[in-house]
Amino acid sequence: MTRFETFTELVLARTGALGAKDAFIFLRDGATGSEADHLTYADLDTEAKRVASWLQSKGTFGKQVLLLFPSSMAFVKAFVGCLYAGAVAVPAPLPGDQGHHFQRVAGILHDAEVRAVLTDAANEPQISAWLAAEGLDHISCLAVDGVDEHGEPAYGDPEAWTRPSFGPDHLAFLQYTSGSTSAPKGVMVSHRNLLANEAAIQRSVGSDSESRFGGWLPFYHDMGLIGHILQPLWLGGSAVLMSPVSFLKRPFRWLQMIDQYKVTVGGGPNFAYDLCLRRVTDEQLATLDLSSWVAACNGAEPIRAETLRAFAERFAPAGFRAESFFPCYGMAETTLLVSGTPLGQAPVERTADAVALERGELLAAGPDAPARTLVSSGIIEDFDVRIVEPQSLAQQPDGHVGEIWIKGDSVAPGYWARPETNKEIFDAGIAGTEGPDAAGWLRTGDLGVLDEGQLYVTGRLKEMVIINGRNLYPHDVERAVQAMDPALGAGAGSVFAVDTDREHLVVVQEVRATAVSTDLPTLLAGIRQLVGKEFNVPAGNVLLVRPGTIRKTTSGKIQRTLMRKLFLDGAITALHSSLDTEVAALLRASAEPVLEPVA
Amino acid sequence: MTTEIHDLPAESAVHTSESLTVWLVDRIAVYLRRSPGEIDPTVPLAEYGLDSVAALSLCGDVEEDFDLVLEPTVAWDYPTVEALAAHLLEDLAGEVGRR
Repeated sequence: MTRFETFTELVLARTGALGAKDAFIFLRDGATGSEADHLTYADLDTEAKRVASWLQSKGTFGKQVLLLFPSSMAFVKAFVGCLYAGAVAVPAPLPGDQGHHFQRVAGILHDAEVRAVLTDAANEPQISAWLAAEGLDHISCLAVDGVDEHGEPAYGDPEAWTRPSFGPDHLAFLQYTSGSTSAPKGVMVSHRNLLANEAAIQRSVGSDSESRFGGWLPFYHDMGLIGHILQPLWLGGSAVLMSPVSFLKRPFRWLQMIDQYKVTVGGGPNFAYDLCLRRVTDEQLATLDLSSWVAACNGAEPIRAETLRAFAERFAPAGFRAESFFPCYGMAETTLLVSGTPLGQAPVERTADAVALERGELLAAGPDAPARTLVSSGIIEDFDVRIVEPQSLAQQPDGHVGEIWIKGDSVAPGYWARPETNKEIFDAGIAGTEGPDAAGWLRTGDLGVLDEGQLYVTGRLKEMVIINGRNLYPHDVERAVQAMDPALGAGAGSVFAVDTDREHLVVVQEVRATAVSTDLPTLLAGIRQLVGKEFNVPAGNVLLVRPGTIRKTTSGKIQRTLMRKLFLDGAITALHSSLDTEVAALLRASAEPVLEPVA
Repeated sequence: MTTEIHDLPAESAVHTSESLTVWLVDRIAVYLRRSPGEIDPTVPLAEYGLDSVAALSLCGDVEEDFDLVLEPTVAWDYPTVEALAAHLLEDLAGEVGRR
């Protein structure tokens, strides 16, 4: 394969060579079925040049351009347009879509020092109005599908585009998946990083130009963008895409897409497979042929052995094979993929002694010992990975749990405009070493263990919670809850997750009983509704507690890990509470029952 | 959907507040991994841990079974099974009226 210096050169080569081939097919949701939009490589080239010529006229070379789109073909044209212009794309969730607010996007807009915004004709008026209201009229906003009264494109001229010149360290995009809402952090992904990771994905998944990708993940999500859109472009393959809403409404449509378009590679977080298990009916299953699917990716949240087993069993009659599962591990900071399960190999599992694992050791579970089944995230090929004790920074031997540290060409140079954080997170050194090991490591914040070449991810070092593939920062939830009612605003709160067969969010919030204008049950119901709606995760467990219950460090930092332990020990007395059935059972099993679930 | 005139009275008679309540409780129990017996039609769904995935699941199933397109926010605007059933009944009556 020709070696390309930049992803832009690569895409230009693909669009030049593959003309009439479909690059992307987007399935729009109708009540009775899906309608397909097709985009050939040649059309993608023309449309991207049109966008790029407009971007060039706005002087955006090497500058950030915010992409605010619903899931649609317009996003792909805009993203490739940024590549063609040498601009730095900043994909972000569309405000108003699924509980995303202008306030959240505003954080990204300011942090990224955005020079222009690309969107579609349907959303351009409200986005322009928002920019004006924020006093940001100097930021140009373009609807990339805008047409004039004759139905012709209303802007830009593909012929006016000029090929930009830049090297592999030029930034391709900023990926805002890290950091809380109040302090968003954009991973700087260079053309070098992107090319390196696409090569790593290809090697791991075993994809080629005949591969057909199929997915529904948001396009601003790293797996959605790098896995389902840029990997097919890198290969000269093709992808079928649908919106997350289409999938969440009817998970069957995703499986139908895999069947009808003979999708070979595609996936999502573990919860997507659970959703298919629960919502696809036997009648629907009987119509499916999933035999084309050779790489069903499962990553971005903890991988559950039960989910893999149940899915493989239930969908076997549709031709799905357990070896097709592709458990993998990665993050925006490494562009995307770090490890994956080799093609044709069933997921590797280990039944670990749960107590030893808490202590940091991977040991086989005895017959009567509490056990935890770990699913391997696969093997590491294109990276150097070490397991490091997070306090002493000493390297751990195989079989011992520690923080996962990573080095390689896919590892981003850091977060945009965060030199202090970058030194700490992207330039760590292993204690007691000299030379290359003493610097340049990415600290992932994930806990894991290496064993016989397999990487098992066992938990999070940071307090971030991952539910339904969504990264939640406790601080964001705590703040939102406290802003809801004056009776809560004066108190502290602590948000954390506990694990049964899935992750459960727990909200502990202090309340000043004298300031409650309604009653505690109403207040509690309000919290559950707020969290469910604003953060898109179920808030099954809410405890309203007396002021002074939340433990803090002397510097005032919330001790969430301690609060979680107290909660699990049954040592938190609530004024009023509600608990998920499974969580209540967990507490009963581990401590005296001081809390009763709300019936 | 075929809409022959003589089907209409029968079709609209099929949906009652009771039948919709049973249908909603069954579906919502699946989304929330609970048994139908646990879902009280008068208790806000958020109290059972309703999230946006469940809210969208509901929209999808209503579209499939009743041929009605709902706003994704419907489960927040009508937060109990009782309120949802009444809203669906109204929408279904509207659909029939428009035909």
